[in-house]
Amino acid sequence: MSNIFVRTVLSYLIIFGTPLLLPWMFIKLVGLGGLRDLVTYEARDTPLHKLDPRLKVLYPIAMGILSIVLNWDYMLIVFGLSVIPWFWLRPSRAKVRVLMVMVIGPALTGFWSQGLYYLPPPPIHYIYQFPPTISWMGSPGLTSYGLVFGLQQSARVLVTVSTSMLILVSTDVGDFTWAFEQFRMPPAMGFALTAALRFLPDMISRTTLVLRAVELRGYDMSKPRWFQVRLWPNYVKRLSRCIVIITVPLLVGSLRGTTTMAMVADARGFGVNRRRGSLQEHPLTAYDIGGYVILVMLVGGAIVLNHFHIGARPY
Amino acid sequence: MLITGVSGCGKSTLALVLCGLIPSRVPGELRGRVMFRGEPLSGMKPHEASQLVGMVFQNPNLQLINQTVQSEVAFGPENLALPHDEIVRRVNWCLDVTGMDGMRKAATVTLSGGQKQRTAIAATLAMKPQILVLDEPLSDLDPVGAQEVLGTLQRLARDEGTAIVIIEHRVDEVAPWADRVVLMDNGRVVLDQPPRQAWADAAPWSRTGVGVPDVVQLAHALPDAFSGALPLSVEDAAAQLAGTWVVPALARAARYRAAAVDTPNAPSPDTALAEPVPASQPAESQRAWRPPVLAWDGISVDFNAFRAVNDVTLRVAEGESVAVIGANGSGKSTLVSLAVGMGTPSAGQVFFRGQPVTPGKVFEHSAQVALLLQAADEMLFEDSVIDELKFGTKFRALPPNPVLDVEGAIEFFGFSGLENVSPWELSQGGRQRLALAALLVGAPGVLVLDEPTTGQDAEHMRSFLRLLEAVRKRTGLTVLVVTHDIRGLASRAERIVLLGEGEVRLDGPTRKVLARAEELKRWGVLAPPLPRLQVQLLGQCDDVLLSVPDFAATVSAYRDLAALQGVPAEQAGRM
Repeated sequence: MSNIFVRTVLSYLIIFGTPLLLPWMFIKLVGLGGLRDLVTYEARDTPLHKLDPRLKVLYPIAMGILSIVLNWDYMLIVFGLSVIPWFWLRPSRAKVRVLMVMVIGPALTGFWSQGLYYLPPPPIHYIYQFPPTISWMGSPGLTSYGLVFGLQQSARVLVTVSTSMLILVSTDVGDFTWAFEQFRMPPAMGFALTAALRFLPDMISRTTLVLRAVELRGYDMSKPRWFQVRLWPNYVKRLSRCIVIITVPLLVGSLRGTTTMAMVADARGFGVNRRRGSLQEHPLTAYDIGGYVILVMLVGGAIVLNHFHIGARPY
Repeated sequence: MLITGVSGCGKSTLALVLCGLIPSRVPGELRGRVMFRGEPLSGMKPHEASQLVGMVFQNPNLQLINQTVQSEVAFGPENLALPHDEIVRRVNWCLDVTGMDGMRKAATVTLSGGQKQRTAIAATLAMKPQILVLDEPLSDLDPVGAQEVLGTLQRLARDEGTAIVIIEHRVDEVAPWADRVVLMDNGRVVLDQPPRQAWADAAPWSRTGVGVPDVVQLAHALPDAFSGALPLSVEDAAAQLAGTWVVPALARAARYRAAAVDTPNAPSPDTALAEPVPASQPAESQRAWRPPVLAWDGISVDFNAFRAVNDVTLRVAEGESVAVIGANGSGKSTLVSLAVGMGTPSAGQVFFRGQPVTPGKVFEHSAQVALLLQAADEMLFEDSVIDELKFGTKFRALPPNPVLDVEGAIEFFGFSGLENVSPWELSQGGRQRLALAALLVGAPGVLVLDEPTTGQDAEHMRSFLRLLEAVRKRTGLTVLVVTHDIRGLASRAERIVLLGEGEVRLDGPTRKVLARAEELKRWGVLAPPLPRLQVQLLGQCDDVLLSVPDFAATVSAYRDLAALQGVPAEQAGRM
């Protein structure tokens, strides 16, 4: 009896422990205020910053294609390639912390969930088999095959997310707008991205401020200790109710700001011409040409190899 | 040109009309026309009008769209599809003229308030307007930021010939270099004259409730001391007063006050007259006996590698009124917010009535220490005034407030008849009063105000100060104010604490701290005009008079005393 009890407790820990690491990591390492670092451009003088913005826009798309079409063995190479530019960029410590949590966190959850729920054909090798007491969860146990499969899927996601983040933190939003324009996309698209990236940090700051304000007005947001189990449901209830309470001031403040921003954009001639000028000239450098060649070779190579069933994903 | 008037008098609306944003972007019925060199501006599209008349809005955060300084400045010329060389030329010129060239690659979110506003000015100038309209560009800035922006505008007007139209409540700072002053009231221009003529008659200003520069008020209060033209700056006033009877009278009054503070129980040195200045400021010895309600013991606060507050020890006595001043980033808000459990000190401990304040327990400590944020709008969460006042009691059991319950607050704060009105239907001042009332209903022991008068005109500021004084009288609250507004708010506190680079640099009675104009300046704070005038006139003084009536009454009283004692006025200072 005690054996099954211990196994049940252990099984619950295995199922929920890893996913619960996510909010814990977020609160401890990032916090709401730390999210600002996620989308804040870091002006630096690295070769990555100087690359042709068009190449930068194409880079995550190309890596995304590779992560879709290649099998796991080849994906490992792509994954390795996607990590290298980060060493080139050398982001600030605060940014690394946020990126690690925001990128690795979901990947870890994906990896773990596949380990629990992805079932290969028998015979199944269980790392830990769950007792019948938690059969209602729908998972027979943690499988090595599932974990490996989860690792592969997470790596695919990681490649796309990490390359997108790399470009986001190393590219001035004006360069994005220029690149979109070169791709014949409407200027409004570039402006929407500009506005979002510019105002997201402000929105995060304001949310932090309003959350402080609601506590100052006497709304209890204090978190119970982990062992005060009976207090947790009430905490979750208060937290959910708080979202409703803070919505009005957040909305009012945001809408008020957009009116001024729209007037400023109008006054500065936004949307007057289909083509825009540019402060930055982006002449093709050797780096850019090299980058384009590598991208074309990677994507072209992957497609050709796929055609000959080399490195292709089994479907 | 300076355009001024009380909030809601139509200044900003006029600015939007001038820039062609009304009626094209702000709906409204426009009668009449705005002409620019014979061409009607009102019919132009915003981007056409902005190449003739550029507009800089009040809040720099809302008008910076791009991520870096140079991309922000280039945004307009890029939209106009100008050739690359022309864009570069304009960006370089704008950054140079606004003094932002060294920060061209900086991310806009990392800039200070003054730098953001200068970036907004640069971005507006990049459209090559011939007139620049600025809607309260100084209201969100600290004194250093305000001086940066004013310096930029002066350079633009003097060196580049750009016409500047500035809408501003802080008339003291703009008055010395304005060529024209326009006073608005109820949507109409009631006065439009050169500054000296505009302020020669105080009647229209007092009738509309709009602030007048302190030196102008002083000239009106002491007409026989100012023989020349109406002074517009401290330097003007000092030049006119030098050699008059005011200087010796002022010196004698200062000596008397110093003697009275040094030996508070000593008989008055002037037996013929009682103390001529009403003792509005309690002496150091008077407040020394009061027990501390808040105490910061060896507090340091670090944000990663940056030390925001460094080893601060500070006591605030029960019932005291203290202003915490300093430049942006000096650690003011960080320090006071620790009193309510916001933030965690890296060293030291904060105490409320002897009990330690636990970091993070904001809910618990906010019952004892009420903090009114600068953005008071962010503190309103309910659909009606009455619900807003009851918000705090809904979520925690509070003892009944014998001094100011919900009904009492409705009456005291002027919300009778507005109980069911939405807070968002109130004026900005009304919303701030409501947020304050809602905090006070909880019967806190200390009220902390973070920049409560930012962006308010003189009349609103006066009524807020009256309200605050009435609250203190009724509740006996200890009040701690974090402010840049030295002239209006800090000079009414009993005591000023100056923070510089996270440390307490000056701490003492308001009159004494404001006499240290040079030290204040060193730490990024500009003393108000009257204290600066006294320092200029006397060279060095131990304390200063803070208001125009005090100044005028004091110097007049000492002149009368000299006359009674048969001493020629010009020698009275040596007595």
